[in-house]
Amino acid sequence: MNYLPLFTALPLLGAFLTPLLSKIWERLSDIIGSIITTFLLILSIYSIFLLPIFGDLYVYEIGKWPIRPIPLGIVFTFDSLSLLMVLAINLLSFACAVYSINYLDNYTARWKFWTLFLLLIAGLNGVAITGDLFNLFVFIEISAISSYALVAFGVEKEDLEASFKYQVIGEVGGLTILLAIALIYAKTSTLNMADIANTFLNENKGTLFWFIISLLTFGFLIKSALFPFHFWLPDAHSQAPAPISAILSGIFIKTLGVYTLFRLIFNVFGLNRNNAPHYFNLLLILGILSIIITSFITLKQENYKRLLAYSTISQIGYIFVGLGLSNFFGIIGALTLIFAHALSKGLLFLTAGSVEREAGTLDINELTLLKKRMSFYGLVYTLGALSLAGIPPFLGFFPKLFLILGAIKEKMLGLAIILGIFSILTLAYLLKITNKVFTNKEGEEVKENSLSAISFLFLVFLIFIFGIFYFNYLQPNLINKASEVVIRGIEYARLVLMK
Amino acid sequence: MVPYLCCIILFLIGIYAILTKRNLIKIAIGFCLLEYAVNLFFALIGYKKDALAPIYTNVSQSKNFVDPIPQALVLTAIVIGLGTTALLLSVAVRIYEKYKTLDIKEIKRLKE
Amino acid sequence: MIELYILLIASIGAGIVAVEIKDLLASAISLGIVGFSVAIIFILVQAPDLAIVQIVVEVLTVIIFVAVILKTTHIDTTLENKMEVRDYLTKGVFVIFGIFFLIFSISALKELPEFGKPIMKIASHYLAKGFEEIKAANQVAAVILDFRGYDTLGEATVLFTSVIGVLTILRKIGKKK
Repeated sequence: MNYLPLFTALPLLGAFLTPLLSKIWERLSDIIGSIITTFLLILSIYSIFLLPIFGDLYVYEIGKWPIRPIPLGIVFTFDSLSLLMVLAINLLSFACAVYSINYLDNYTARWKFWTLFLLLIAGLNGVAITGDLFNLFVFIEISAISSYALVAFGVEKEDLEASFKYQVIGEVGGLTILLAIALIYAKTSTLNMADIANTFLNENKGTLFWFIISLLTFGFLIKSALFPFHFWLPDAHSQAPAPISAILSGIFIKTLGVYTLFRLIFNVFGLNRNNAPHYFNLLLILGILSIIITSFITLKQENYKRLLAYSTISQIGYIFVGLGLSNFFGIIGALTLIFAHALSKGLLFLTAGSVEREAGTLDINELTLLKKRMSFYGLVYTLGALSLAGIPPFLGFFPKLFLILGAIKEKMLGLAIILGIFSILTLAYLLKITNKVFTNKEGEEVKENSLSAISFLFLVFLIFIFGIFYFNYLQPNLINKASEVVIRGIEYARLVLMK
Repeated sequence: MVPYLCCIILFLIGIYAILTKRNLIKIAIGFCLLEYAVNLFFALIGYKKDALAPIYTNVSQSKNFVDPIPQALVLTAIVIGLGTTALLLSVAVRIYEKYKTLDIKEIKRLKE
Repeated sequence: MIELYILLIASIGAGIVAVEIKDLLASAISLGIVGFSVAIIFILVQAPDLAIVQIVVEVLTVIIFVAVILKTTHIDTTLENKMEVRDYLTKGVFVIFGIFFLIFSISALKELPEFGKPIMKIASHYLAKGFEEIKAANQVAAVILDFRGYDTLGEATVLFTSVIGVLTILRKIGKKK
């Protein structure tokens, strides 16, 4: 698997080439973008088959600086959890890249979009595979900075306002993380995550340890937009261009916020429900609050994209409920939800882009009066919404099932009931759009665009096929292994340093 | 300990500006302060008493050097900070062009 | 090391001035004072490479700030507005948070190695190996260009990203009508 650096090198290459080559012919940037994302998709699918051969963990030493006896250089560590993230990132980014080719006709400066898009993907892939703490920060910044610029890509009044808010809050999160990294370095004098884990294992966990944990948690909760740090998300995610909203809501906040937290809390600091019950209860409570509060706000939304953006916050709440429960079912539920939500929320945001193109507005009340029929978008949207709300046989059903099982296992029946009720509420607010925008319409049928149809059908196919073969394929091969990485906890360090 | 604490105070001043100031440029200034505080903190960690800068010279044969790693990391962090500040300010300029104000309370097109 | 403390206190003072002063140009200059004090502190803690970069970056930052202020407005008019209940509330929350944060950090910082005595677990290997294996006189250069060269690629990428980002945002027309 020595092709591991390609996950970041390929999109970086694409990003550096795009400004040069698009001077020749602007459409060349479309070609570069789609070829690179296709390659990345192939690489990540290939990794599914290759990783078990290496015993589910591969360590790549950059610059051949050995990891033993002392980790001198930067390493990439690729295990089943990274694999799950990389797969989700590249499946969604492929769909979004294909979709963007036609969508970009609405905007100027095509090549700038593609450059930033590829940088965003490079950063996300880098976050998922790196095994070095400072390198993690650098990749977080690469993807965060490109996302700030992409949110304001339309340079309208609202876009700029959303982008400014997003930048300030995002950077406070980023700098808090850097402060925590500085403290970790001062204490352990190393930056390799496995080595840090080993060092902290032998230390007594005093105030400094919890100070570092609080700083990191604060930073990553801002990045993942959990209540009460969610206020920037609805603006940023509703103002970005549709494919970018899809990536931001679908995978960006989960890679930067949730995955990193999973990795650091479980694998590096070795926390679990037994040695830090209050910490996990805090995350659990924030998750529940996030679900309850934003679900009611979502019901009142009158804008297609804002509604979807608010629903993302409540889904993040579900993921944190799984993290807070942190038993087997909870972790499985959270990881499946990361994957399922990426595909279905991505799909919903892409339909928003198409509807906006046809109608010129995203206000649900104006869309109701529109004299156009969009039955294909309506069908695709409804399938995505059913999956997101957790209706079988779609993929989105399983995470909700596991989360409820997890709650029952911890004897929290009230929580199980809350999770069930609010998933029905999810269905209610998502189907509000189906009801108002897509049904009972008169007028002519809009013509579908072949490229965007490809990306819709690709995502619908994935949601359906992974749902059908969930217990046969997805869970045993991907989710279970990824949850093992999480549950094994501190064992990660020994495995990495043994390689 | 005291130098570290000074960095934390600078950090808090930055947070204060971001939380309470209503002028976009003031917020950007607070953000810069935040950045300096973290960079400074990181650089102070590597300091070793009575040691030299980690450069081999012909003049002194001493091998008592300060820690080079935080210096290398802060170098990266400073450049990242410049990038984010430039981006933030360019958004501020565009906002002023569109809204004719820098007051964050008047920049409220996005409703709840 | 009395100079270090003087500079630290000066930068805190200049920071407060930068945040509170009404004239934005003066505010930018005060920010410059903080930045240059930081640069001098870098020299004092034996980090000449950092000092050089900090001076260049600080000059650029102040120039960008001044250019932005000249393009917009140089009086912070928001200070004249009357404080609303919400503003007092934010300040109150900040004060509580700040005191809590300070106490928490004081007790946490006590557990760090003492100022001036780093552990240098990896760094001692770099210093031992750096000269023989890499033939670099400057060990910081050895770290950024060889041991941790990948971070430097990332740093260049961040700079590239922000340049493209600034170009994107300064476009006059974004959406085609």
